[in-house]
Amino acid sequence: MLSPVLCSELSALEPEYTEADVISAVEFSQSGEFLATGDKGGRVVIFQREPLGEYNVYSTFQSHEPEFDYLKSLEIEEKINKIRWLPQLNSAHFLLTTNDKTIKLWKVSERDKRPEGYNLKDEEGRMKDISKITSLQVPVLRPMDLLVEASLRRVFANAHAYHINSISINSDCETYLSADDLRINLWNLDITDRSFNIVDLKPENMEELSEVITVAEFHPHHCHLMAFSSSTGTTRLCDMRSRALCDQHAKLFEEAVDPANRSFFSEIISSVSDVKFSHSGRYLLTRDYLSAKVWDLNMENKPVETYQVHDYLRSKLCTLYESDCIFDKFECAWNGTDSVIMTGAYNNFFRMFDRASRRDVTLEASREVCKRRAVLRPRRVCVGRKKRESDVSVDSLDFRKKILHTAWHPTDNIIAIAASNNLYIFQDRHSHHGHHAGHRLEQDRPPQLQDAPPQ
Amino acid sequence: MEYKVEAHRIMSISLGKIYNSRVQRGGIKLHKNLLVSLVLRSARQVYLSDYYSGVCLNAQHVEAKEWELMDGDQEKLIPASEDSLPSSTDCDQTEAAEVPEAPQPEETLPSLAVEGPEDPCEAVEGPKDTSSSEPQAEQEGSSSVDSTSDVSVPSPVVSEPECEAKQAKVSSLDCETDSNLAMSAEGNSHQPPKAHSCSNRKRSAEKTASHDSPVKRTKVTSSNADEEEAEEMDTSNVSNLITIFGSSFSGLLSKESSEPEAETEESDSGSGQICCDQMLKNLNPWSTAIVAF
Repeated sequence: MLSPVLCSELSALEPEYTEADVISAVEFSQSGEFLATGDKGGRVVIFQREPLGEYNVYSTFQSHEPEFDYLKSLEIEEKINKIRWLPQLNSAHFLLTTNDKTIKLWKVSERDKRPEGYNLKDEEGRMKDISKITSLQVPVLRPMDLLVEASLRRVFANAHAYHINSISINSDCETYLSADDLRINLWNLDITDRSFNIVDLKPENMEELSEVITVAEFHPHHCHLMAFSSSTGTTRLCDMRSRALCDQHAKLFEEAVDPANRSFFSEIISSVSDVKFSHSGRYLLTRDYLSAKVWDLNMENKPVETYQVHDYLRSKLCTLYESDCIFDKFECAWNGTDSVIMTGAYNNFFRMFDRASRRDVTLEASREVCKRRAVLRPRRVCVGRKKRESDVSVDSLDFRKKILHTAWHPTDNIIAIAASNNLYIFQDRHSHHGHHAGHRLEQDRPPQLQDAPPQ
Repeated sequence: MEYKVEAHRIMSISLGKIYNSRVQRGGIKLHKNLLVSLVLRSARQVYLSDYYSGVCLNAQHVEAKEWELMDGDQEKLIPASEDSLPSSTDCDQTEAAEVPEAPQPEETLPSLAVEGPEDPCEAVEGPKDTSSSEPQAEQEGSSSVDSTSDVSVPSPVVSEPECEAKQAKVSSLDCETDSNLAMSAEGNSHQPPKAHSCSNRKRSAEKTASHDSPVKRTKVTSSNADEEEAEEMDTSNVSNLITIFGSSFSGLLSKESSEPEAETEESDSGSGQICCDQMLKNLNPWSTAIVAF
């Protein structure tokens, strides 16, 4: 089983933080060299993995700004909902970021050479006095300090009447999908003024609305297959070859609800909050409020594995409903070999489940507990009396501290955990990549820098 | 009873959430509001099913006294009019026969309809997709009332109280219409206070008098009666809602007068808001109150 060790903790020094600093998206690049985070203030921070194994800030930019829709008198939040990296084709890196209404394609590139010796401008950029120019020179490229720039390449706007909840890049690297509550659109990465609608759940009469789309994702290998989950607890697999509008699903993954467990909140806790294909493409991981399920794409009527993340909350659903916690959308993740799944919980706990051995572990991501190079101790939540001193009782769980966003490196055992405004990066102690720097790394999150040179 | 309190609380919390979602940043979140409305609906179903079983037990005593009064009047009327007697006495007998059976929750519904006309009417404007089996079962019951055979009110599932109340109300109104006619024929102006408000609903009662295709009539009536009954029951509607929803509703009342303008604006804007409004109107029978949203 993994023994995670803290290798980087990137967080604000002060415990007080503003709402805008809360991390709302975490995503590793396809190679794992970069890690992008988005926050509620619309900023994106990109970290790069150093040769020693640590992640340091690479670039920061403001991706989305708050907007106002004058027609509908609605404010559009700048919160970054999802980030997805494109596969790398050249030296530049491309990523898609989205808020509730607009998707943007960013290019992040390095510049380490600068042209010098202009004829008309001097070194500071001021125009030279023409009468003083006597000869012609050819500008040459000279090395400079590394500069990382993020430039906006495409804006995909005005295609969604409802709030965008997910984006997913197709394996063909040319198209991607964006999903809102009722519709899924297919885009070409180069074309911003049109998109194709491939799923439309909007009923003729909105009064008959019974379900919304919660997450959509393309299959990792088959460019014609995509999956989307709904608020009713079902996940559908659609084949885009069969027809242009994929309202009819090819497969429907739904488990019958145990009638003994019915309560007022049964519908809410069955709503799927995240869907992830396994790297192999054979399995689907879905997360609902209390559990995580692994589905085999070949079997629709029940999952092959069900993992209870925090079933002790089942008796507290009413309290969680009052505090709105029951609407929290937890993400889930596979490891590189699809042998372990991970998801977040409350009290800054996150859980990992080993599929083969059926062992699971609960770990905590918090400042007090995480010291550099110290192995994380497994935690336990107990319902009744504490059996061990380190146990945490259900009643003392802090529901304001929730780990909604987690990401796993595509190949290595490195995980990124977002806890409010803090980002924790853990590495497996036994990983052969693990070399830890001696100094304790603590950085302020750069507030408004356009480019942050690496240290 | 615990379920009733719990359901009541959950309903008020849900309404508060829906109300707050209008003012939060970023616009109405369709997903969250859909889930909240589902909770609101299930809580309401539990609450109403419990409501009837609770209120009926109390109503039985008051109702019995009312009918005693009416019986007394009827006895005075007997020598005066013999034509209208059979139907009225039949009704009295069957109603009286129903009263002793009141203790059982299902069978108190007919008497409940007389006792609290506002409440069943509210509940009646329930989801339009009521099952067809229930109205038919109750129609048989009401036809048995008319034919003065043994009153064997079928015991439908308590989870469909709206439907039963509707049918029961219809059957009792039929009787009441007759009894009203009987009394007015004698020039007796005595009418039970509640019959006055019920008399406005003679229109709807007559519509459903025929037993052909009961399901269709029921649905049509409920949608037609929606408007007129809503207006009539405005004040009683609101006062009932206050008791049901407690403090979370008081803020809504004060804003209700100022809200209508805002409501029309908002109903034109935002697909998320439109569907939210429409969803609420569909799910909640108390349309006047929810207009405030």
